[in-house]
Amino acid sequence: MVMRFSCRNETIEMMQKQSSSETQPSVLDPTTRRDIGVISQRRRIIEAMVSSCAEKSYSATTISDIVSRASISRTTFYKRFSGKRDCFDAAIDACIDEVREVAGATSIGWDSAPEAVRKTTAALLELMAAKPDLAQLLTGDAIWVDPSTADRYRRLLMPALEGLLDVGGEEKRWHANPSLAFGRAQLLIFNEVAAGRSGQLRALHPEIVYLFLVPFVGHDEAIKQSRLAQRCPQPDVAPDSDR
Amino acid sequence: MTDNSEDLRRWRLPRGRHGLPRETVTRSQRERLLAAVVRVTATKGYESTTVGNILEEAGVGRETFYELFDDKRTCMLAAHAILVDDLEAKARTAYTEPGPWVDRVRNGLTAVLEWFSEDATVSRFTLIELTAVGSAARTRFQADFGRFVTLMDEGLDGDAARPDLAQATSLAVGATLARVYGKVVLDRSAELPCLLPELVYEVLVPFLGEEVARSEQGRSARAE
Repeated sequence: MVMRFSCRNETIEMMQKQSSSETQPSVLDPTTRRDIGVISQRRRIIEAMVSSCAEKSYSATTISDIVSRASISRTTFYKRFSGKRDCFDAAIDACIDEVREVAGATSIGWDSAPEAVRKTTAALLELMAAKPDLAQLLTGDAIWVDPSTADRYRRLLMPALEGLLDVGGEEKRWHANPSLAFGRAQLLIFNEVAAGRSGQLRALHPEIVYLFLVPFVGHDEAIKQSRLAQRCPQPDVAPDSDR
Repeated sequence: MTDNSEDLRRWRLPRGRHGLPRETVTRSQRERLLAAVVRVTATKGYESTTVGNILEEAGVGRETFYELFDDKRTCMLAAHAILVDDLEAKARTAYTEPGPWVDRVRNGLTAVLEWFSEDATVSRFTLIELTAVGSAARTRFQADFGRFVTLMDEGLDGDAARPDLAQATSLAVGATLARVYGKVVLDRSAELPCLLPELVYEVLVPFLGEEVARSEQGRSARAE
């Protein structure tokens, strides 16, 4: 059956490959049951790639690993992807889409830009704590396999960050090169995940807030915001009581 | 430091060593293999490097290789450990010499930037090729990252104002590594020493605030 309709499937695949963001509508609004089948199969392969990379890294992952994890045949794999790297790139796209979704959902409706940065970075750390495999992939293999991935993060998140921090007619003063924040955040997160502390990623929030704000607003304001980011579980401790 | 931590890039093929005790010959063969794995994997890439390539470069027999190492991976990890020991020793010497903390930080950073700028192949091997060995690279990376955080923590003293961030030293190590990685990955490690003033600022600002960090950046630029 898949064979018979492979032409159509290939078209869907091509559309999906063209732009990862374009996969979203087809996932949410599949036109036929066959599409759902193709998409879910693709998704399963991608999930297998993500979990295998997390467990043994991209370089040690083989097509056999993916095929057995996804419970599909080798033939099916090669129908969806041209090879290991192609599948890996699709996995990165899927993970970046998740990040984009979370960032997009939390970066609207806040009073101030620093607050938005705080909420967004908190949500991203929560996402990575909940999905250590995704965190591992995005901060580890994604960069090691293709260093230009870091530029994709920048292109993805930087305009939003700049846009946010431009709010209120404040004069743009850059205290340091903001694009460095991505590499530094990536290293900190990767280090935590590699140490098996992905569950406690939220503890990095003050540092991550500081990293993303300091280039734009300078040390004093970035520290102020990072203090607000410190988790205060006791209700009697106001977030900014130390100021 | 023991001769085992000797800088890999200075290792050369020993000449006319016949008649030396077997132990010495074995050690020099080990050193040759370690030097070879650095050169070969940094140029060919880890995945396409074979044990045969390493043997050819080192001029050492296969049997000897397998007496010394389990496989290509353990050989590579052994070479990596020696290089990071050397880097840490250089950074430690520069950072722990008596003097004001800001000067010691600058000296430590200078030592690190110089180490990575000296030999593009060694830098590439240390930072980039390591990641190809698989999950062992993560453990190694994390442990090495921790070593430099500890080194910096140990050297903190009274004149290093208490930072507002719990992990300010992790930020400092991360800032340095991000800078170094950014150059090494583009094969532009020779430019690293020029980054000192900016890096001094980035490392110091969480500890000492905007004003002091900025003025130390200026001092580092003038000192160049």
